[in-house]
Parts: sequence; structure tokens; C-alpha cells
Amino acid sequence: MPDPANNSEILSALKSAMPFQMVPGNLMQEIAAICTQESYEAGEKIYDLGAVADDVFIVAYGSVRHTLSADTDASKHEKTMRSGDVFGWAAVLEGQSVRMAATASIERTLVLRINGKKLIKLFESDPAVGDVVMTRFATLINKEFYVPRSIADQVPGFKQALNASNLQGSEVTTMALTVYRISTWLKSPRPYLMLIGFALFLSFWMLSVEIWKLPRFVDMPGPTEVFTEWFSEDPYYGLSIYTPEYYKHIGISLQRIAFAFFLATGLGVPLGLFLGWSKKFREYIFPLFEVFRPIPVLAWVPLAIIMFSGSETPVIFLTFLASFFATTLNTMLGVESIDESYSRAARCLGASRWQTFVHVVIPGAMPYIFTGLQISIGVAWFSLVAGEMVSGQYGLGYVINTAYMMIEYPKIIIGMITLGVVGYITSAMVRMMGDYLMQWRVRELALGDN
Amino acid sequence: MSAVIDENLGSLADVTDGAISIKDVVKIYDPDGAAVMAVDHCSIEIPAGEICMIVGPSGCGKTTLLNAIAGFHGITSGSIHLDGELLCGPEKPQAEPGSDRIVVFQNGALFPWKTNLDNVAFGPMMAGKLSKEEIYDKARSMMADAGLSGNENNYPGEISSGLRRRVEIVRALMNDPKVLLFDEPYRALDSLTKSVMHEALLEIYYRNKVTIFFITHDLEEAIFLGHRLIIMSSRPCKPKKIVEVDIPHPRDYSVLTSPRFRELMNEAKDVVHEEATKAFEAGEKEG
Repeated sequence: MPDPANNSEILSALKSAMPFQMVPGNLMQEIAAICTQESYEAGEKIYDLGAVADDVFIVAYGSVRHTLSADTDASKHEKTMRSGDVFGWAAVLEGQSVRMAATASIERTLVLRINGKKLIKLFESDPAVGDVVMTRFATLINKEFYVPRSIADQVPGFKQALNASNLQGSEVTTMALTVYRISTWLKSPRPYLMLIGFALFLSFWMLSVEIWKLPRFVDMPGPTEVFTEWFSEDPYYGLSIYTPEYYKHIGISLQRIAFAFFLATGLGVPLGLFLGWSKKFREYIFPLFEVFRPIPVLAWVPLAIIMFSGSETPVIFLTFLASFFATTLNTMLGVESIDESYSRAARCLGASRWQTFVHVVIPGAMPYIFTGLQISIGVAWFSLVAGEMVSGQYGLGYVINTAYMMIEYPKIIIGMITLGVVGYITSAMVRMMGDYLMQWRVRELALGDN
Repeated sequence: MSAVIDENLGSLADVTDGAISIKDVVKIYDPDGAAVMAVDHCSIEIPAGEICMIVGPSGCGKTTLLNAIAGFHGITSGSIHLDGELLCGPEKPQAEPGSDRIVVFQNGALFPWKTNLDNVAFGPMMAGKLSKEEIYDKARSMMADAGLSGNENNYPGEISSGLRRRVEIVRALMNDPKVLLFDEPYRALDSLTKSVMHEALLEIYYRNKVTIFFITHDLEEAIFLGHRLIIMSSRPCKPKKIVEVDIPHPRDYSVLTSPRFRELMNEAKDVVHEEATKAFEAGEKEG
């Protein structure tokens, strides 16, 4: 495409068209290169029923009336195409050489034309993407145009395994997409770099401890010793994936984390929201908050033991404390980050102060709240282990500390690796919860990716 | 589409609500400190149903005036009336924001966490006067009228910026406002999208006659859309020249090439240029 401005317009129109949304950049460029732009005046005919089906069309601006022929058995014949809609798909169907619909522009309209045969040829060079686009075409024909599956199934397949006729409607799209995502992930360097990183770390550990026996690492257990112990049915130090003891420690740590985390969230989020929302409230509370916040959790240990009796409550209190500050502060920042136009717009539209709080402040602060919760679950693990080392029975921190005192060094490493894995899983769960609650954000970011 | 619109669509005779009267308004920021005068004894009369374009260089204080009408901040002296009722004046320095005057913001203020349909239904849902079904039926049909069918369940972040502006205008119209206040809403759009948006806005206006107070620094946009241009002087802001646009409504993009359009452009250009130079030399920043 010689004209770059034109090219970017074509690309953005292509990206807005459902079947092409998943096409990667370089292939998209190639598709853009075979696109032509054409404009139609209001009421002008674009093509007639029975005409030669050569091109696929994408509406860039304006609107088009699409009338399917009665022989298609479509459950609905009339359809208005607007910006981003795709029509003229007969051009990509196998065994379909003429138009099955008549189309005419409703207003002044700009369309992109792509030759169907050339398009299919392009996809032969990248069959994985081709299949995704064609299954999307099939879904489009079937779901958006209400045309029976038998016609939609005439879209060509590029790989036998994914041929559209073997599967049904939306399942096809999700499955093809998953396969597509996994295959691009495997094609990218990311998984291999990750494996190399792990391998480098393990070999450094093994070399320094087991082979070179460096002075600093004399008492360190090596990876062989640790992993044999960890996966042994009859562990020497009494802790492996086959002993119930192991799961009891994990379970109790998780219980404490859950209790402290939910308490911190339940108190921290509302407090943060009100701190951000009400200036007066912030002036009362925030200075106090700012004095307490920098005190490290470890400094609270003696006081926690004095204040709370037993061995359980001090640990939970310490875990709660760190989470609570992280959650509250981030929630408050979240409220402050909300663009003023949103609250102004809400007030213009007649929302009361309370309605603005519910409909603007809470959802607007949500991204920050979840950043806060991510931090909160991280520091919760941190202070949990600190607490369990000082007080408490059971738990992963307790395992690490007693293993140290009893000179059972492999157990220390088992405890540490377990903490890493369990900690990662809990923070992934928080992230997934956030994605679930903020669909709007997920969808926005997904579009930005392309 | 212009062929089906009949001739009196541009006339204001049938519009009764939405006359704005701005009298001697002064706005001084930080009166006890730096005392920056943003608006200086500004008086403008806008008849009901007029598209009034406020033209001036960036940072001249146009937005200050808009915010005073909307009720986002107060004025130092003077008064603003809507249909004879006081919005703000000597006893009441700041107007109460309300759904009779709705702002369409510069960067758009659709709530990104609500779907387009929920955004459009927002105002009436807050007012709570109609049932949810009635509100959503109305929202759907208004979106369809504005060519937005099919985007109801998308989030604003998923549609083009041009469509977002259209959704925002429909969201405002759902509340039957008397006045729409536009704060350079098309500033960030590319020129192609802009031209589509202008025709779409006029089309919406011909269907729902409301007074439009439209801030812009784009002369072409101002003459194409407006019944009247009020060219403002650079800070402090006051009307410097009024240009009546006598090109009859309904208009479409063919007027851009008409000789009368060129004449009006030339008439306005010199004044605007002079003010822009002044603002530039004064080193005014965006405001």
C-alpha cells in the first residue's frame, strides 16, 4: 500500500471486522495489501442476487441493506450492515460462485473489498490463522445472518483436524481460539526462556552444592537430596507429599491466610473507599493511618503476643495487619484516581451523591482495589511466615523454623518451595477473581493487544 | 439521508425550552492569591433551540463558562438564567448540576465499567421515575435511531471513538435535557470520523431540538454546525465578534464547498487568528 494514512485506515477497518480480529500483524498487512476501498452514494446498489461472488466486503463507514434470497432458508432475510460488519461471504464459500443476497447502501458508505480467492490463498501460507478466521466466518454466517449450518459449513478448512463441519457453532470458535493461542505461545520464545531460567537455577544449585561443594554451601541440602525427600514414600525426616502431616501444615497456613485476608479485605476496602470519598473523614483518619503504616509487621510481634492469648490469634493478627494497610491504601488511591469527568457526568445525569458512590466510585476504584488485593495476599504470606516462626503450631513457617532447630535442612527447602507454589496459586486466584469482576477491563485490554 | 429531511427542520420556531441568558459574568480564579481572570464581563443570549458555537483559542476560558452553566464551579459575579430561572447569580454563586443541562465531555465520560446500554439507561435509572423495562425499551430504541444497534452489550472500550461519542449524546438525550453542553467533544477524532460525527450530530439535532452550547476551536466545525458563532477574545474571555451563519439547515457536507461557506470562513478567520496570536504570545497554557 503506497499511502500510509490509507493503509492505517484499512487496517483499523479490518481489525474491527469480527472474523479478522485474531489475525496477527504481518498477515494483516498482507490482507490490507489486497484490500481496495470503494464508496457508494445513498441508495446505490452494491451487488445483485446471482451476480458473480468475487469479493468479501467490510463496512468502514455508513450502512448497507443486506437482503438474503429466499432459497437460503435463513430465518431472517433483512439485515442492516454497519461499520465493522462483514458481508459478501459467498466469495469465500466452497462450491458457491454467485451472490446469495442483494445489497445496497442506505447512506453514503465506504467499504473495503477483499478478493475471496486471494484471501484464501493468503491463508494457505498460515493455516492455523486461516482456520480461526474461517471458523469465525462460519459462526458469523450461521449466527449473525441466521443462515443454516449447511451453508456456513461450506467455508474452507485449512487443516483437517479443525474442519468446521466436524464441530458446532460457538464451540468451534472457543476451541479453535484456544488451540490457536497455545500454538502461538509454543511458537513464541516465552515457554523456552522460562524453561531455560528454571534449568539455569537448578543447575547452579546443583553445581554449587553437590559438585563444587563451595564453602558457603557446605551445610546446604542439594536438589537431589531435597527432591528425593520430597517425593519419597518413606521420608527420612518425616515430611513428603505422601505424608498427611505435609497437607496439614499447608491446610493450616491456608486457613490463617484466608481468615486474615478476608478480614483485611472486608475492613480495608470500605475504609479505603470512604477515605478516598470524604475529605473530612480522610483528615481525621489518614494522618493516624500514615503513622501506623510504616511500622514493619515484625515490630508488632511482641505486642501481638502480649495482646492476644493462645498461639493462633497473634499469627492471624499479624497476617491481617499487613494486608489491611495495603488494601486500604490502594483502595483510597483508586478512588482518587477516578477521572473527575465521571463523577461530573453522573451528577449531570441526575445521580445523587450516594448513587454516584455506588455507580462511579466503587467500580472506578476496582482496578486499584484488585492491585491492592494482589499486594495484600503477597504481604499476608510474608507476615504469616514471620508469625508462624515466632508463635503457633503447624503451618509452613513453623515447618521451616523447627526444621532449622532440629537440623533437618531438606525440610527447610521443602517448606520454602511449597510456600512459593501455594503463594503463587493464591495470588493467581485473586487475579482471576479480578478479571471475572472486571470484564470490561479484560475486554478492553484484549482489544488493545491486537 | 438529507433528501428525506424537510425544510423547516432547521427552524427554531417550534422550540420553547432552553433559552440561556448569560449576563455580565465574571470569573476570577484564586481571588485572594494570583487572581487570574478567566471570564471578563461576558454577556451572551442564546435563544431556545439554537446551536451556538463558542469559538476561541485553547485556554481562553471557554470551558470556565461551560462549567459555570453546568454547575461544576461557581462564578464571581454576574448571573446565568435558563428559561428565566436563575441558575447562578449574586445570591447563589454556583448552579446545581441537573439533567436539564447535560455536558458531553472533551475526552468522553461514558462509564467504562457499564455496557453501552447501561450507560444510556443511567440517567432515568437514577431518577427512578419509570420502570426498568420502560427505560431499557426507550434506551434500545434511541440507540437504534442513532444507528447504534448491535453495540448495546459491548463496553465503551470495545467500540470506536466515533461511536462512543454517539452513545454519549444518546445517553444525554435520554433525560430530555433542555440544553446540551459540548466541551470540544470531537477534538481527539481524526478528520474523517469528525465529518461523519458532524452529520450524525445534525441528524440527531433535527430529531431532538435542544439548545446546543458547543465549544470548539475548529472554525470549519463551528460554521458547519452552528446557527451562530461567538468568537471569544483570549483570556480573559469575552465575546469579540458574532458571526450569523445564514446557510439554511438542514445541511450536509456539500455546504463545505459552497461559496457562502468560504466567505464566512474568511470573515471569521481573521478575528480568530488575531486572538490565537495574542494567546500564543501571552504564553497561555491549555486550560
